[in-house]
Parts: sequence; C-alpha cells; structure tokens
Amino acid sequence: MSLPPPASGVSRRRFLGGALGGAAAVAAAGALGGCAAPGGGVTRHADAGPWRQYAGSTLNFISENTAPTAAIAANVTPFTELTGINLNIVTLELSALVQKVALDLASGHSTYQAIYADPYQVLAPYSKGLVDLRELMADQALPQVPLGVGDFIPTHLEAAGKFVSPDTIFALPYDCPTLIWQYRRDLFEKYRDRMAHDLGFDPMPGDASTWDQYYAIARWFNDNARDDVPYGTGHQAKQHDSLMNDFSNVLWAYGGDYFDNGRQVGGLGTVDPGPCRLDSPAAIEAANFYSKLLSIAHPGSLTWDWDGLGNAFAAGQVAMCPNWHEYAASNESKLPGKVDYAPLPRGPVRSGNMYGGTGLGISASTTGDERRAAWLFAVWATSPEIELANLKSTAGGGTPTRTSVYQLPEVVAAEHRPSPMPNILTAPAVAKAWQPENIGLRPKIPMWNECDTAIFTQLSRMLVGDSRPDDAMRATTDQINRIVSRGWVASS
Amino acid sequence: MTTTAPVRPAPTDTAPLRRRGLRFEGRLLTPGVLLLAPLSLLPFGFIVVMSLSRVHLLGGVRFDFAGLTNWVRVFSDPDVGMAWLRSLAYFVLTVGLEMLLGVVFALCLWRVLRGRNTALSLLLLPMFVAPVFVGLLGRFLTDSTFGLYAWVLRHLGIETDMLGSQGTAFAAVVLMDVWEWTPLITMIALAGLSSVPLAIREAAALDGTSGWQLLRYVVLPSISSVLLVALLIRSMDAIRYFDIIWVTTNGGPADATKIVPVRLYEVAFRFFDLGYAAAIGLLMLLVSIVVARAFVRLLGRRGPAR
Repeated sequence: MSLPPPASGVSRRRFLGGALGGAAAVAAAGALGGCAAPGGGVTRHADAGPWRQYAGSTLNFISENTAPTAAIAANVTPFTELTGINLNIVTLELSALVQKVALDLASGHSTYQAIYADPYQVLAPYSKGLVDLRELMADQALPQVPLGVGDFIPTHLEAAGKFVSPDTIFALPYDCPTLIWQYRRDLFEKYRDRMAHDLGFDPMPGDASTWDQYYAIARWFNDNARDDVPYGTGHQAKQHDSLMNDFSNVLWAYGGDYFDNGRQVGGLGTVDPGPCRLDSPAAIEAANFYSKLLSIAHPGSLTWDWDGLGNAFAAGQVAMCPNWHEYAASNESKLPGKVDYAPLPRGPVRSGNMYGGTGLGISASTTGDERRAAWLFAVWATSPEIELANLKSTAGGGTPTRTSVYQLPEVVAAEHRPSPMPNILTAPAVAKAWQPENIGLRPKIPMWNECDTAIFTQLSRMLVGDSRPDDAMRATTDQINRIVSRGWVASS
Repeated sequence: MTTTAPVRPAPTDTAPLRRRGLRFEGRLLTPGVLLLAPLSLLPFGFIVVMSLSRVHLLGGVRFDFAGLTNWVRVFSDPDVGMAWLRSLAYFVLTVGLEMLLGVVFALCLWRVLRGRNTALSLLLLPMFVAPVFVGLLGRFLTDSTFGLYAWVLRHLGIETDMLGSQGTAFAAVVLMDVWEWTPLITMIALAGLSSVPLAIREAAALDGTSGWQLLRYVVLPSISSVLLVALLIRSMDAIRYFDIIWVTTNGGPADATKIVPVRLYEVAFRFFDLGYAAAIGLLMLLVSIVVARAFVRLLGRRGPAR
C-alpha cells in the first residue's frame, strides 16, 4: 500500500525542499537587509530652520569613555530638544573605539556619523575617512561654529583638528586632557619645612621645579613619611600607551624627541617623519633618569595605566604623580581640598606636558544629509554653552577647549575652592602646560599605533631590568625606523 | 472508468547527482555545507588571499598582491618567534596543571559519597564565569591599591606587585586560567570514573592490589580515552587564549605574557596590518590542526571509550 500523492501534486520531499529553500531565502533577505546602508534614517525638512531641519532623524556618535562624553551622555535632552534629532552614543575604551571606527570607515557605510577622532589613532591614520569640515562651515543653511574656530585654543585646533595641511579642519577640538603634576597639598604643607631643611630647596611644586627635585621629594617621602603615604611617587608605567605618555614628559624635558622637528610632527603631523631620534644623547639621558625615577616609585606603577594611577592617588597610595588633569574631579570627591596641581617639572631644557586632546569629526562615508545632521551635533557639542555645562556636570565633565569659556567670570571664580566645577581647579596649571614652550605633542603620524607599541614595549623591558636605558632607546629607534620605512598601507 | 497509475516523477533531478557520486549522506550534508560555506569556507579563502596581500581599508577593502612577503615576515619576526615560545610554555603549564589537578579533584570527589553534588557544584562555579570577568577579578585581587591578594602579601612583608614583574605576571595569568578551567577536567574525569565497572574494581581488590596499583593499572587506563577528549578540548582553548591576558597585563610587563593570540590581535586591530595578521592567524590555525590531529590519532589508537 502506498500513500496517495498530495492533492496539490507536490511531493513531501519537494515540499520540504521548498520550505528549506524558502527559509534560506528569507534568511538571506534578512541578512542583506541588515547590510543595508544604515544612514537611511536622516531626512531633511528644508523649511524647518537651520537647527530643526533634520528633526526626527537618528545620529550615532562613537566616543572614548571620556569625561565630556560622560557628561553629554548623562544629558542629551538639550540636543534632542534643540534639533529634534535622536542621538545614540556608543562609548568604548580607546583601542576598541579605534577598531570600530577603522572597520566602519572600511565598510564604506557610516554606522557612526559623528566620531571621536583621536588625533594619533584615528585622525592621522584615517584622515581620508573624515570630512573636511570647511565644506560644512561654508554651508549657509547650517548653523556656524559659535564665535568661529578662532575661539578654540590654537594649539588644540592644530593638534586635534588638522592633519598635514594647515588649511584643512577634520575635527573640532572636543576634549583636552593634559598630563600635569598632581600632588597632595596637605602632605607637602605638613612636611614642607622638614623637606626644605633636608633637601635644601622649597619642595612646593612650581614653575621652576625640576625633575631632579621631583625625584628627591619622592625619595624623601619614601624614607620619612610612610605613616602618611606609602610612596612618594606613582606612575602609569604599565606596558600600555600610558607608559609612552609618562615617559614622553621626561623625554621632552631633557631635550629629546621622537623625530626631528618634533613640534611640527606633533602639531600638524606628517606622513613621513624622517629618521627616529630616540638614540640621541638627550633621549638616552632622559631614559636613564626615567629608569632611576621608576626604581623608587610605587611598585604598582608597573601595572597601572592612567586609571590605575588615578585610583591609587585617590586612595592615598602616593604623594604625587603625573596624570591627566581631568582626574581632578575624582580627586576632589575622594580627597576634598587636599590635592593641588602644577605644570610638570622642568628638565635641563624645558617642561614637557603631554597633550592628549581629541577632536570631534564626521565620517566621510556619510551621505550629504547625514554629514549635515552630524555637523549640528559637532557644533552643539563643542559650543561654549555645552562646554560650560560639561564643566558643571555631576557626571565628571571635561574642561573646555575654547578660550572664551575660560574667560567667563563664573569659570574664573571656580578656579579656587570651594569650586562647583572641580576640574577647573587645574586651569592655572594647564594654562601654563599649554604654552607653546611647555606643551608636549607626540608624533602625529599614520603609523603611530605601531610606533607607540614599540616604545612602550621597550620601555617596559627597560623598567623590569631586561635592557639598559641606552639599549632600550637604540632598539626602539631601530624598530620605529623599520615601521616608518614600511609605511602605512591601511588607508593608502 | 479507467485509472491511470500514478506517474512517478521523472528521476531527472536526482539521477545526475547520484551519477556524480553524491549519495544519500552527501545530500543530507548539503544544507549544512551550504550554510557553512559563507560562514567558514569563504572567510577562510579570504584570509588565505589576505595573507598574500597588502590590505587597504579606506574606500572599501582592497588587496594588493604582495607575494610571500607576509609569510617571510612571520618566520623572520623575532617578536612572533618569542610569542610562540611563550605560547608553548603557557600551553604546557596550563594544560598540564589543569589535567593534573582536574584528575586529582575528580578522584577525590569520586571517593566522596555524601555531599558530592554540593561539592561538585561549588567546584564548577569558576567555569561558568566569562574569561574576561576572570581577568578582571584577577586584576582586582592583585591590584596593589585595593587587591586582597596584594594586601595579604603586603602583610607577609612582600611589597612587589604580582603583575609587575615578568615571572609573577606569567604565573598569575597561568593560575587564573587554571582556576577557571580545572573544573571542566574534573567534571569530564568524574564522568569517566563513574563508568569504571565495579566488577573490575572488586576483582582487583580480591587480587590484593594496593590503592596506587588500582589507580595506575585499572582506573587510569579505563578513563584514558575520556581524558584524551578533555585534553583535546583544553588544548584547543589554550592555543587561542586571549581574554585574561588582555584584561590583566596587556601582554606585559616587558612582553612576558604576550603569547601569539595577543600578538595577532595587536597586529590586526591595533596596527591594522591585516595581511600580516592573516599570515599569523593561518599559522595558528595550522598549529591547532596539528595538535588536534595528534590527539585524535592518539585517541584512535586507543580505541573508543571503554
């Protein structure tokens, strides 16, 4: 006995086959749908005015998990009320951000229209993937940058916003963390006279303080104040980007640099920096001093990046440290009134204070309307009003990148305790740190990530005693020269 | 009334397949292969091509043929060579310790009659934690500012930071992996032990064997096939170990914990040197296959689990 054929004439096998094929087709259609350009959500309403013309659209902003983004993420309502645009913010650790941005730019679609464009890890390697913002500045139908780009601190605009050409602007300065000297004022005042007597100089940090004095102070704390603080100094010397930052301050102070014409290579940047100069006598002397300094630092220094160091300082593990000035808000909440700030000490040549600021850019993969909508966000996020609001934010908030904000009476008043804007307590110190003779700008070159890795790896070897400072500097020089000569292929 | 016999569908659609040798099993496999092709085979082909190219990202991914440049670099790069040596040390230490401790714990649990399930549940807990959280936990416990282990060491007069020197950092990441994955070996070994026939054990006892002899000549041979499977599983994991190291030490200090997967990640996603990364990745794949084949061959020689 056999079953009759189905009334429709379709065999069970054929039916199952068809069902399988149909499912596959649906899955494929779904997958392809998922690959569709994500920018389709931006629609223009030409008659709605400059700020409201993209009302109802959705923008994606990708950022490092930094203070200003924390403040904006905590309160995006003003932007949505002003523009009618829904803003999604993705915050990531810096290396994860760089990956996402690189892959997004490679895809040719703009999942993220607004980009936190770190000058060294995003702007320099992927400048071709960012919009030259001058085209949007020239668009009369769009809101203009309040007070013009001239209101941005010039060094910030150059370092965070431009690449190679002084005319192009790829990003608007968005944040400006800078490494400065953070110290326990309470402990320095308590021991000031004893230290002055023992060391033969006034230990209070100031413009004339030197790295040799810093070392002597750290050692004095180690030997004499263990009941108050376990170690005199702490550093962000983990095998990480932070180690390169920490060392660079000393390198510049001793007159060394990564390449010839370091100010130009760090400011506007270049695609061909020339031979590495880390094997110069000044760089080797700096490495010798750094190695000596780390030998008396808190042993945890070798495992701390900036966050680890910030936590250790706030927990009272060290009396002083070089760290990003945006940790002031955290210091003030954990050690209220006990911390003060100064530019980093001078070496034989100058004081070098690593600048770590970043700009806000727009993906070049965006459609015309997407980039115009993203421009609204860029203008809003870097406006004086929002920079002031960030300063006041309970979420932390960064410090302004605009001259005009620092001149506001309420900001000037907040430079002294009690301050409703704890990060601005660092303003006098960072203002000196940003002066052209004091600012430290690492090389802005496309292959920086690989050079950076070579630098902090060799420094880490030096600090654990695997290599001597001069050998470490020469090995780094060789590696950087190889990397630079290989060139940067990913965006060519 | 005339009836016509149902006409069987002409075998035109299946006959050619049969003629080409695609039999019933092959046709059953076809949907799976079709699904796997876009997920595995095409990317694999892509990576092979990548390893022979310089890869440009911006403006759409573009490959420029570079011949064997990347492969020459893989075999001449001292950093990659050192990473392989560290990987080998890491592999031997983690897999060795996990197998040893896992079997010891399983034997202990096997002997426990009351509370075995509770003890096993507690022992298995680390296995259910995501590796990245194990790394974070390890980092917090060893942090010199607020870490419990650091605090204990300080009170014992040891002022060093565990993740701050090469030897201790390497030991720390090995121990974190061992802590997480020993329970897996315990579970697998315990399952094997449960299947050792009671009759054989009783016969051995009647023959007057000591506890060690019973273990050496009866129990371990009985569970050797199961242990080989456990070894295979852990070996594959150990070769591609990444999370804990990335979270705790970032490969440092002084590259002491930079094993091959960490180097691969760095080359691919920090330097975006994707052609070179593809070559490193393919070499890793090759090593994984060789190790897996060695274990599978060993398993085949011993026959199926008894």
